Amino acid sequence: MTGVPGRGRICLALSAALVLAACAPNEPPSTGAPATMRRLSNDQYRNIIADVFGPQITVAGQADALQRSDGLLAVGADKAEITPSGFEKYYAMARSVAAQAVDPDNRASVVPCAPRSAAESDENCAQQFFAKVGRLLYRRPLAPAELALVLRIAGEGARLRQDFYGGLEVGLVGMLQSPQFLFVVDTLEPDPAHAGKQRLAAYARAARLSLLLWNTSPNEQLLTAAEHGELDSAGGREDIVEHMLSSPRVEAGVRAFFEDFLHFDQFETLEKDSVIYPAFSVRVVEDAREQVLRTVLKHVLDKRADYRDLFTTRDTFITGSLARIYRVPTAKPEGSAWVPYEFPDDDPRAGLLTEVGFAALASHPGRSSPTLRGRAIRENLLCQKVPNPPGNVDFSRFESADAQKKTARERLALHSTNAACAGCHKITDPIGLALENLDGIGQFRRTENGAVIDASGTLDGVPFQDAAGLGRAMRDNPATTSCVVQRLASYALGRNAGGGDKPYVDYLNQLFARNDYDFLELLRRVALSEALFAVKPPVGASSGAPTARMNP
Amino acid sequence: MCLALLASAVPGAQAESEGRTQTLGFVIRDWFTAVYNSKFVDECPEGVAISNDEVWWRSLPRADRARLTGNGLIQQLNRMPTAMKRGPDGENVCLSPASVKDPPMRVVEGKYSYGVDLNGRSDGAATAKSCPHENFTHPDGTPGIDNQMYRLVGCVYGWRKGGLPELNAHEGRGTSGLGMTLVEITGVTDPRNSPDVTITFYRSVNQFALDGNGKPLPFSSYNVDMAGNKPRYGDSLKGAIRDGVLTTARGDVRLPFYGNYNFLHPSIRDMGLRLEIAPDGATAKGLVTGYYNMDEFLYYVGGMVGHTSTADDCPAMYVAAHELADGYPDPKTGQCTHLSAAFDVMAYAAFVIHPTDQESGK
Repeated sequence: MTGVPGRGRICLALSAALVLAACAPNEPPSTGAPATMRRLSNDQYRNIIADVFGPQITVAGQADALQRSDGLLAVGADKAEITPSGFEKYYAMARSVAAQAVDPDNRASVVPCAPRSAAESDENCAQQFFAKVGRLLYRRPLAPAELALVLRIAGEGARLRQDFYGGLEVGLVGMLQSPQFLFVVDTLEPDPAHAGKQRLAAYARAARLSLLLWNTSPNEQLLTAAEHGELDSAGGREDIVEHMLSSPRVEAGVRAFFEDFLHFDQFETLEKDSVIYPAFSVRVVEDAREQVLRTVLKHVLDKRADYRDLFTTRDTFITGSLARIYRVPTAKPEGSAWVPYEFPDDDPRAGLLTEVGFAALASHPGRSSPTLRGRAIRENLLCQKVPNPPGNVDFSRFESADAQKKTARERLALHSTNAACAGCHKITDPIGLALENLDGIGQFRRTENGAVIDASGTLDGVPFQDAAGLGRAMRDNPATTSCVVQRLASYALGRNAGGGDKPYVDYLNQLFARNDYDFLELLRRVALSEALFAVKPPVGASSGAPTARMNP
Repeated sequence: MCLALLASAVPGAQAESEGRTQTLGFVIRDWFTAVYNSKFVDECPEGVAISNDEVWWRSLPRADRARLTGNGLIQQLNRMPTAMKRGPDGENVCLSPASVKDPPMRVVEGKYSYGVDLNGRSDGAATAKSCPHENFTHPDGTPGIDNQMYRLVGCVYGWRKGGLPELNAHEGRGTSGLGMTLVEITGVTDPRNSPDVTITFYRSVNQFALDGNGKPLPFSSYNVDMAGNKPRYGDSLKGAIRDGVLTTARGDVRLPFYGNYNFLHPSIRDMGLRLEIAPDGATAKGLVTGYYNMDEFLYYVGGMVGHTSTADDCPAMYVAAHELADGYPDPKTGQCTHLSAAFDVMAYAAFVIHPTDQESGK
């Protein structure tokens, strides 16, 4: 082999690394935002229960959905309230979880000690239990008053029920409906590096990391690391982040982000007309959602591929129910067995936009919708705002059967005759029409009402001929990457990363580009960024920490 | 071939790895004996056939009628076991149909029938492979129709339109996944017009993929039933597609069959299939014709549980079947062994998956 000798290569490599390091952007200072309380998502609730009490615990029911804000449920979480009916749901879930956690099948693995008698209270054993479980549920050690309160409740419960475990159950129900559990509270502590200022407490920092990377509460190791100050140093934090990113559990974190980013909560209410689309079923809904997520996870986690290529990739996974809609064969036609699938080069499908999940979600129950699809692309994937239609629009003009207008393109052309409509529809329709070869559930079609579908158009001046062409245009559109960066920053910070966060978002955009749009590397840099932990006290506040108390 | 399952621009078509031809696949969902039903049952001037239960009941002395039927209150289904065991030594007359001699079966005497001319003669004369029999005329006027199966069962309630056993067999196949026939058409150059294709019949090991209304979903995948390293079924015919209509040459084909709790694998001699494929390729309807093995048919009839609902009389049908059989005479006895027959079929586009195919993917 010719070329530079070994030492020379090393020097060259080091030099290159130094040059790169020198060119690497530095994180701009962040002023942060006031501390907040964010309500757990349903998935986070389930993940925590499984982590603390075991995966065998069934969480029956769902809490009220979070409200989406600035494109993300994670941002709306800090505005969430618990309504009376929502509280009842939490109460029912808490009772069910608590009963299962201490039942004879599970108590041995959940309760760290045996009571003196199963028929009466045992404060020592109860204290061990609540200290252990409470630390995991509240994401910090229980305050003495909190521990005393739950022990009193559990003791009284044991006395009334003449059952030690019954007492634990009563106490646990109280903890599981406490705001300290249901809300992630940004607790603050004095900042030793800046006298007179405060910083996010170590446990709260651990919670932010864990929810971002694993979509669950910190485990015992992470809480211990926080307790020992390992999150205070850059090196310690980097070690922890590396450890968390190398864990299989990072899949849950990435999955949660993309479910939020892609508005997949809408699958909960997705319905189709079974007469028009007999192949569509509950199974298809579940599989379509999962297909997109599996495609994303394989792309960004397993392959560490360029994020932009998600819009052109032909690699995916299918089940029997999806294969039927894609009209492709599968050797596993029954059940939900997943098999890898690659759309052939001559197949019109390529990229996330042509998967059933996107096509069906951004459609009406009985037909496709270029407008909904265009709007979903603009708002969800390019982070561009599309105004709502005026309240006085006469939709019948567009939806009435007109034999002369066979395709959606012809019907939507009416918008150009109405100035009130044209402004927005020229933003959405040209890209939505690119997907018209996919019907309301994503089945491929060449014609509509006997007329050949014209799927050509332009995206921000870039022309394309079909859905795959739109995917290529999306791939090369700068807004595609800046959008996911902005959303990830917002997701991590729990607030819309706009305005004052622009330098931080710009910094992340530069990093993303420098790292070949490697999403996992972007996630790593977000997890290591100072901005993730930056807080400032609210104007006029004395302590700066949000208050929360346990429900009596 | 390895995975010759690449999606094609043609709905439901599978591209073959060699050459530029495609493969079409279908799964047969509906399989009904083709029966010409006139509004006033003109084809059965004596009326519909009497049943085994009726023969049994008529044979009973008046005193026994009340005793054995609970004064007429015992439902026919419950008294069926008793009615069937009326052989001289208590034989089940459906399992031993020659043990008694019943009144002759009422058979079709009408002029019209669905089906085709199987023996090339419209005068009913014998040929090398057929016995003398009376021919029908197709409702469209075509003479020389051979359909002795229809002549045999056309006056039996169970085989007429809406007859319970036919529907029961149909439902059974739909929910059990048993007796499902896959039709694979290879060598397709154009799904609407291909001059030289090969049609192979397999059995599926997967159940029908159904929608919420119990209707098959087109473009589902079905794995071929294998016996060792060979398909358990796999007989082939040559054919052609013209203007979307598949017509096969005739040949002997063994098909899977399940109905009324009976498994059959009948060999249909000189079988032909005509399938009209819908323009979107999702469905196809047509007719299977050929000579149906009489013994296998009588075995099916004898093993049925619901003879009361079928309203057939096994001993009478046994005799009539032998009298009406018109295909493939026994070289020694001259007794024809097959019944000319026709079956209405409805099929849905399907991917026929062979075990040599890899898991779905490129």
